[in-house]
Amino acid sequence: MKRFERFAALLLASAMLMSVFAGCGDKTDGSSSGKASQASKGETTSSSKAADPASADTGETDTSKEVELSMYVVSDRPAKQDDIDANFNKLFKEKLNCTLKVNWIGWAEYPNKYPLLFSSGEKFDMAYTATWLNYAALAQKGAFKSLDEIWPQYAPKNFERQSEAALQQATVDGHYYCIPTLLATYSAFGPIYRTDILEGTDWDGKMENLADYEAYLGYVKEAAPEMEPYEVYQAGSGVDDVWMQEQGFYAPKSANFLWFDPNEESPKLMAWYEYDKTPEFLQMMKRWNDNGYFTKSALSDTDSQKFKGGKAASRVHNIDSYSGEYIEHPEWGIKYANFVKDVSNLPFTQDALVISNTSENPERALMLYELITSDEDAFNAFFYGIEGTSYEFVDDQVKALNSDDYGFSACWAARTTEFTKDSYGAPPDLKEQKAGFDKYIEEKNGEGSQKYQGFNINTSNIETEYAAVQNVIQQYWQPLELAYVDIESGLKDYQAKMEAAGIEKVREELQKQLDEYAASMK
Amino acid sequence: MKKHGFVYEFKKNKALFFMVAPTVLLVLVMSYLPMSGLVLAFKNYRFDLGVFGSEWNGLENFRYLFQSGAGWLITRNTILYNLLNLITSQGLAIVVAVIISELTGRIFKKITQSVIFLPYFISWVIVGTFVFNIFNYETGVLNNIITAFGGEKVNVYSMPGVWPWIICIFNAWKWVGYNSIIYIAAITSIDAECYEAADIDGANVFQKIWYITFPSIRPTIITMLLLQVGRILRGDFEMFYQIVGNNGQLYDATDVIDTYVFRSLLTNSNFGMTAAATFYQSVLCFIIIMVVNQIVKKVEADYALF
Repeated sequence: MKRFERFAALLLASAMLMSVFAGCGDKTDGSSSGKASQASKGETTSSSKAADPASADTGETDTSKEVELSMYVVSDRPAKQDDIDANFNKLFKEKLNCTLKVNWIGWAEYPNKYPLLFSSGEKFDMAYTATWLNYAALAQKGAFKSLDEIWPQYAPKNFERQSEAALQQATVDGHYYCIPTLLATYSAFGPIYRTDILEGTDWDGKMENLADYEAYLGYVKEAAPEMEPYEVYQAGSGVDDVWMQEQGFYAPKSANFLWFDPNEESPKLMAWYEYDKTPEFLQMMKRWNDNGYFTKSALSDTDSQKFKGGKAASRVHNIDSYSGEYIEHPEWGIKYANFVKDVSNLPFTQDALVISNTSENPERALMLYELITSDEDAFNAFFYGIEGTSYEFVDDQVKALNSDDYGFSACWAARTTEFTKDSYGAPPDLKEQKAGFDKYIEEKNGEGSQKYQGFNINTSNIETEYAAVQNVIQQYWQPLELAYVDIESGLKDYQAKMEAAGIEKVREELQKQLDEYAASMK
Repeated sequence: MKKHGFVYEFKKNKALFFMVAPTVLLVLVMSYLPMSGLVLAFKNYRFDLGVFGSEWNGLENFRYLFQSGAGWLITRNTILYNLLNLITSQGLAIVVAVIISELTGRIFKKITQSVIFLPYFISWVIVGTFVFNIFNYETGVLNNIITAFGGEKVNVYSMPGVWPWIICIFNAWKWVGYNSIIYIAAITSIDAECYEAADIDGANVFQKIWYITFPSIRPTIITMLLLQVGRILRGDFEMFYQIVGNNGQLYDATDVIDTYVFRSLLTNSNFGMTAAATFYQSVLCFIIIMVVNQIVKKVEADYALF
């Protein structure tokens, strides 16, 4: 009996010890969910569910009732965001008799928290979405409100300005589920590289293709041996995509393991191991690896700021990153080259806004969004904040002020080509480069890769195989593309694992969808 | 003895029932109620239809776990890792507890204990950074030491074989202080008369540890083991994720159920498949706990959990 007592006491003690620590861990969760419920509390009061259709037809909706709308965005909340919120709410209250509460989901928690927004049943009105937040998959699973009727009705100006491609991209299973951004972005991808470190060497400055880039890396290795010539970290290398795109190939979104030639009449999906030039690519990566152009431990390296921190001489990314890096370090002589041969506008769903299934005031939310995207004052207040405090315009460029306390909005979807200004100190050739892309896109007239930017894959019939394939890519392709494993046997391994994972079924399904899409675009 | 009905018991021990009520409620709400969510494992989840409105889809959600044979590998890895970690971290914790309780200097004892406990508060994110800074090829501490002695650099990140040991060492380092507290508590409660008697009989330190300390804390050891066994199929996700990260070369040796599921489902947020994986873990856990508990019961009925 005594023994039992001791045992029970111990059990109790250990349970207490654990609960003490469990309590510590829970604290943050509890407070954040408390915040969320607080946010939703405000709007439950409203009930303007059925706006009078008669008045809506004339473009007038009853706004006599004050509502608090809520929006979710993904980013870290700036310290003094409250000031900006108060500032734009004054304007919104005056114009539309509503206020907006913006909830920020931090970078650390968004992968888990974002999908749960839509399954928790929490009441909110709007959310930022994007291709990288799995817009298409969430829409297919019924997370958002269909906008077929309310969008043209309550946000007519916004709806009219959407391009045909954008509307096509917003369509999932025959319905509109999101409002794409009105700001054009480009599929341009290529090296962002420093030139200051090569001053005084006999480097010719040529940067038109990967061969030039390889030469550049060689020079860097010699001139600045303490630097990593090419930044690669945990997320893997982007050079594999660039290499394919340099030759004019294109891969569907979320399926960049299957490539096709967008200029063909009826394109066929092709895996890496079926392309006869893949060994060439792997040879190149092997050279880079052997010569130490990137770290040998990249896949465990979590430091994504090596270029920013001056530890790497170049990185491969998009043109917006170029602008950002240039502004931060004008003294580095940063330059950019686009290697994507068939450049096109990225899907406008790259940044988009959705209306939640649980929204009680979808029409008021749309009216507010209409205001933000069509009224420059409202846009400036919402996106840039308070003039003179969080931003100022200089020479038609926007300069961020007090960036420790303030930041621009994270609802990037609200940007439009008219209202969005280049950042202050942006590289002088930025406009020129973008104009070049615009010209090319216009000449292509919707052919080539532009035609397929609206193609969203639907994985609902192949979820099992798709998940397995994703896994194989991480386990076998990523070490292979960096030539960490023997390239010949590695490629064979990759093929065998892909086949075991069910790549053929994935390809069959996606090919079917691609054919249907191509037929529908004719 | 006559058996009484529930009503009689309730009337007789009202206060006791009242006292236990919050706990029962907590367990019901936090542990039993969410179990209904397990139906998700057999459904094709849609946001607009909700958990209970979505359509059934049989065992479809479980299929991806076993597609291409990964299911067996990750189950094996999970169990082996936990066994290894269980033995090393608990074993070390017992040793540390015995040593600390044998120390006599009060201040020295406290400092030692605190220092050993400290790693518990370091998050795996930081530990992951430590690991990277030790083992990375170009600037890692290990390679710097090797080259300083004139050796050849080694690329640890392409040697999957050593990672089980690396992970085991870091796991033990992080948990040993925490685990040892419970053993220290057990040792403190041992009757001092036993030691005095042993002293008079002329027993040395090792004999005292072997013949008094160990037998006295045996129930604690068994309880701790049983509690740990309950978690044997739950890989410590944070640990594996932060230490191994995205490094595909190491997956054959380091992939556990949790990391595999995380990786496969990150890109298509499928709640059904996630629930299926949890369900699979829970069922296996349940079986293992029942078996181990039965064994303990056979050997020494007093120590079994139930």
